[in-house]
Amino acid sequence: MGYSADEEVLRGINFHLKPGSFQFLTGPSGTGKTSLLRLMYLAHRASGGVVRIFNQDIARTRRAALPGLRQRIGVVFQDFRLLDHLSARDNVALTLRIGRVREDAIGERVTELLDWVGLRDHLDAKPPTLSDGEKQRVAIARAVIGRPNLLVADEPTGSVDEYQGVRIMRLFKELNRIGTTVVIATHDRRLISQFNYPVMELGHGTFGITGNK
Amino acid sequence: MFRQHFDLPLGEDGSDRFVPWIIAVMVYLATLSVAAGMAVNRSVDKWNIGLEGTITVEIVASNAPVEDAGKRMDRALSILRKTEGVRSATPISRDEISKLLEPWLGQGDVPLTLPIPQLIDVRLEAGTKLDFDALGTLLENAVPGARLDDHQYWTERLTGFGRSVQITSAFIVMLVALAGAGTVVFATRAGLEIHREVIELMHLVGSRDSYIAGQFQAHAMSLSLRGGVVGLGLGAATLGVLSGITASIKGSFLPTVTITAEAWAVLAALPLLAGLIATMTARVTVARALQEMP
Repeated sequence: MGYSADEEVLRGINFHLKPGSFQFLTGPSGTGKTSLLRLMYLAHRASGGVVRIFNQDIARTRRAALPGLRQRIGVVFQDFRLLDHLSARDNVALTLRIGRVREDAIGERVTELLDWVGLRDHLDAKPPTLSDGEKQRVAIARAVIGRPNLLVADEPTGSVDEYQGVRIMRLFKELNRIGTTVVIATHDRRLISQFNYPVMELGHGTFGITGNK
Repeated sequence: MFRQHFDLPLGEDGSDRFVPWIIAVMVYLATLSVAAGMAVNRSVDKWNIGLEGTITVEIVASNAPVEDAGKRMDRALSILRKTEGVRSATPISRDEISKLLEPWLGQGDVPLTLPIPQLIDVRLEAGTKLDFDALGTLLENAVPGARLDDHQYWTERLTGFGRSVQITSAFIVMLVALAGAGTVVFATRAGLEIHREVIELMHLVGSRDSYIAGQFQAHAMSLSLRGGVVGLGLGAATLGVLSGITASIKGSFLPTVTITAEAWAVLAALPLLAGLIATMTARVTVARALQEMP
């Protein structure tokens, strides 16, 4: 995969994620973790090779079919990517509104989830007034509210304290338990070591999977 | 009914400030143009209806004795009244002719020595198809100086004038619509650029193009309707003033600017039309732009 004809970012990567599996993705900066995640959440189409998601060859998938696939993928961006003009509640509800969930069914689900991530008192707060940790929790709530089939999270515990980090990992495990495939990109070796999940390691030109496959 | 949740902050990009005013000016111009077209058409219709089913016979003045003029009039009346399809043939009195000539000769009796033609007002049965050429020839042969005027010259020109005004009015409305659409294209493209990051994010979380386009459409519709209502209001006020002015010029050939219920219905549709054009324009503009996203 590359962003231009003469610049290749990912090469020789071959893996298959079992539905309902949980894995970490790690590696030094600049090895293409974010690029790999972007392929997974369909922000890019690979310039070569085959990327199959939900049994669909993405290169051959019509553009009009991509939103349907994306709605099955929850994404936690490293830089949160919250909408500053919307409240925490509306940021989380965005995924449901886009998925055409009825308005009266949205409110309760959003409030419940924001309560769970400790933001009950910040429902109407706009992102610029939230701390990085709070923003991250809103971003996570937005990613999981639609109960995605695949959850892709880029450093999801990077901006939260240990207590919130544990709660977030519990949330991911809970989602995984009900069938969501989870991929968490992190530099945090301590976090990885706390769980017995396979680890995809990206190096400069290398790729391997270690741990419990 | 129009409740819409906006995920895109479209109201915060400046379009709220200029688009409604531009649309207001567009709808104002369209209102005046359409009203002018309808007023002229109504006048032309009135003139045509006034001339329809009537012909005028003119017997030009001659140096012959007055008695001879009376005989010529009688002969012409006799021919006309015997003609099938003629409901009535009535001489127009000298007093009435004097009134018709007032704009040129001023008030007061027309001097008896002035050689003015004799006129006969002829009314036809409804639906009559007279052979005007044949009747004209018959009159000319039987009554020296008689000439038949079936008003065709005027009706053709009036109809042509009405049609020209209609075409001009439609052309102006089309130009206004194009300019309005151009404004919406510009505002929408600016909005797409300003909110690119938000749109990209919405795409990534599964938004369909139609969902994003729907927000631009609703915004464009809202701005256009607001501007359209203001434009229509200003147009109605202007028409009210013009109506007062034309009504004060009595006996004028100017078309009277009277807004009938039917005309109001047409004018009231202009803001809706502006809203519709804005909506469709926004949809097409956004759809094209989003096609370039992955």
